[in-house]
Amino acid sequence: MAMTRREAFKNIAKGALPVLAAGCVSAAVPQVAHAEEAPGFSPEAESLLYDATKCVGCKACMVGCSTANNLEPDTRVDGLHQAPPDLNYYTKNIIKLYKSDDQKEWSYFKQQCMHCADPACVAACMFAGLTKDEKSGVVSWNGSKCVGCRYCEVACPFSVPTFQWEGYNPKIVKCELCNHRTAKGEKPGCVTVCPTNAVIYGKREALLAEAKNRIKANPGKYFENRVYGEEEGGGTQVLYLSHVSFDKIGLPNLGKESIPHRLHIQHMLYKYLALPAVLYVTMAAVIRKNFGHHKHHLLEEQKKTGLRPQL
Amino acid sequence: MTRWERGVPVYGVPVLTRGFWALTALVAFGGILTLIREYVGLGATSGMTDAYAWGIWKTFNVMVLTGLGSGGFAVGIAAWIFNNQKLHQVMRVALLTSFLAYATGLIMLGIDVGRPWNFYWVVLPWHWNVASPLLEVAVCVSLYATVPLLLENVPPLLEYVIYEQPKYRDLALKAEKILEKVFPFVVALAYLLPMMHQSSLGALMLLGGDRVHTLWQTPFLPLIYVSAAAYLGYACTMLALLLAKLAWKRGLDWDVCEVMNKITANLIFAWTALRFADIIFRGKLGTAFAFDRFAALFWLETVLILGGAIALKSERRMNLGFLFNAYVAVAVGGMIYRLSPTTLAFQPRPNAFYFPNVWESLISLSYIALAVLAYLVAVKKLAILPASNEDWNKMAAYEKVVRPELQLTGYTAVEH
Repeated sequence: MAMTRREAFKNIAKGALPVLAAGCVSAAVPQVAHAEEAPGFSPEAESLLYDATKCVGCKACMVGCSTANNLEPDTRVDGLHQAPPDLNYYTKNIIKLYKSDDQKEWSYFKQQCMHCADPACVAACMFAGLTKDEKSGVVSWNGSKCVGCRYCEVACPFSVPTFQWEGYNPKIVKCELCNHRTAKGEKPGCVTVCPTNAVIYGKREALLAEAKNRIKANPGKYFENRVYGEEEGGGTQVLYLSHVSFDKIGLPNLGKESIPHRLHIQHMLYKYLALPAVLYVTMAAVIRKNFGHHKHHLLEEQKKTGLRPQL
Repeated sequence: MTRWERGVPVYGVPVLTRGFWALTALVAFGGILTLIREYVGLGATSGMTDAYAWGIWKTFNVMVLTGLGSGGFAVGIAAWIFNNQKLHQVMRVALLTSFLAYATGLIMLGIDVGRPWNFYWVVLPWHWNVASPLLEVAVCVSLYATVPLLLENVPPLLEYVIYEQPKYRDLALKAEKILEKVFPFVVALAYLLPMMHQSSLGALMLLGGDRVHTLWQTPFLPLIYVSAAAYLGYACTMLALLLAKLAWKRGLDWDVCEVMNKITANLIFAWTALRFADIIFRGKLGTAFAFDRFAALFWLETVLILGGAIALKSERRMNLGFLFNAYVAVAVGGMIYRLSPTTLAFQPRPNAFYFPNVWESLISLSYIALAVLAYLVAVKKLAILPASNEDWNKMAAYEKVVRPELQLTGYTAVEH
């Protein structure tokens, strides 16, 4: 027979007790283990400092990048110039132009991977197809782990990772701070060719100090007298100085919290799989009890109708 | 009015209809397109770009349709945990629609990803990035579809063997006994896993940050996303039952329908309250009155879903046409909601735009056709759709005349 509502709730309540008990335990345990520190930077963290006020928009860095990374120049727009509209699987580094509607304010700007302290793409990746090197902090791609799900593209607030949209063996293409060159003591491709030193390479600590010196030497020259990347989105290794507002040159207003930090409630709920395990045991107990009732009900029906019971 | 007492196959109608062949043709065409897609890549065969890196194969076939296919989970919880005996009669429909939605969704995932051969890492837990919500989805969805959901769908298959394949009858009986022993544990897993992955599907877009419009982007997105799946599951199950009445004149058990109507409406009221409370507490209600497409989308969802729920409470629901439309409104509204965070309310770059191209749409449609095809064959061959004991006896009598060559062991009453 069908249970009354009161009985049903009583069942649930009985099931809920162990959940509560276990909930208290698991709530106490993570506090010790869950001292999640904001990810910082290793002292070896490699970095770029791009100063938009120094950039003359010559795009030499785009050619330098293609050459250093053995990428075919993307001449698809006019068949002649290497002038891709955006980062794509031929283009790990790009120079763009921002112009205000009244044409009075303008700036060139460079886009490549920011190598975040706590990268959203790395948090998104299922099997560590993208990883952040512990020492250099460079975020790089591993083709033997990547499933090609493109979650990194959805997650990156800077729209940096790109996907190869052609062929049966597509790759994720992104700036890896020329780690094949820096390992040999050389500078990244974009840095070596820059005629005005608009982009320079070094350790993050040193470049951050350099950026702050420039601000100090030229008060009022730079937007809000601050360095983009010092704290934005939990901090990025690549740093920017600009005379126009950062959001005009492709640098979103991210706040101090990293993007993956938005998952912290999820991570708490799944800690040690304790909560799911308790939930499973509770549900199994309730269902087992109700299963007995249901079977009893089915057998009674069978006696009445003579028809084979259906589970 | 009928009383639903057991599943009865849709008998006396041919399986190989014109519709069957039309669907088969579409599925075959989709198969060919799939092979082309694997060879030439995603650029030519889809409207996806680096800005909208996820297209309808993921956002619609997986994220929307598994929501619609949550009947096995949502109706099941009411039947098995809250012990609502009446709902056991519609469980087989709910479970079948769920399985087909998940199975075709998994296939679509495999077609969507660029390097599917690397998916084998999923069986090596020490290679998992447990921080990734997509990993949680991948593990839970594949586990759910291939173990508990599949097992829950096995009883009608075993019954078919018992009735119509005397050779394997003993084996099927043995399997039935084993399944019965583990069933409660299977069922519990069948509720735990969807709770986890249906909420993680919402958690996916937490990493989308502010590029997901603020009416949808909230720390509670996972909770709101999984609760939307709950009423979508009810709507899908009820639509399947109403369509069965329309197509094959199957009787409706109004008592059971009323339970479904009530639960669906109440789930929606609670869901809408949760959604509005979230928006109000975050102080973003103003954006719902901005004069832009996001506000329009938000109200479209709300009107369809909440309007459907109010219709399910009104007296006019006794009219089956009205009831059907109410469930369509709920289903369409809920589906739009499930599509919004990844697509309709997602603006990854200022002028980025996505619309599925023709090949992408055809491939998407062909795997939906596969699910429909499998559904049509299954309800005609297996005891899925609910009917009365009397209907069962009529079916047995009919089969005895039409297919005397079969020993229909058990179709007719067993003597004691």
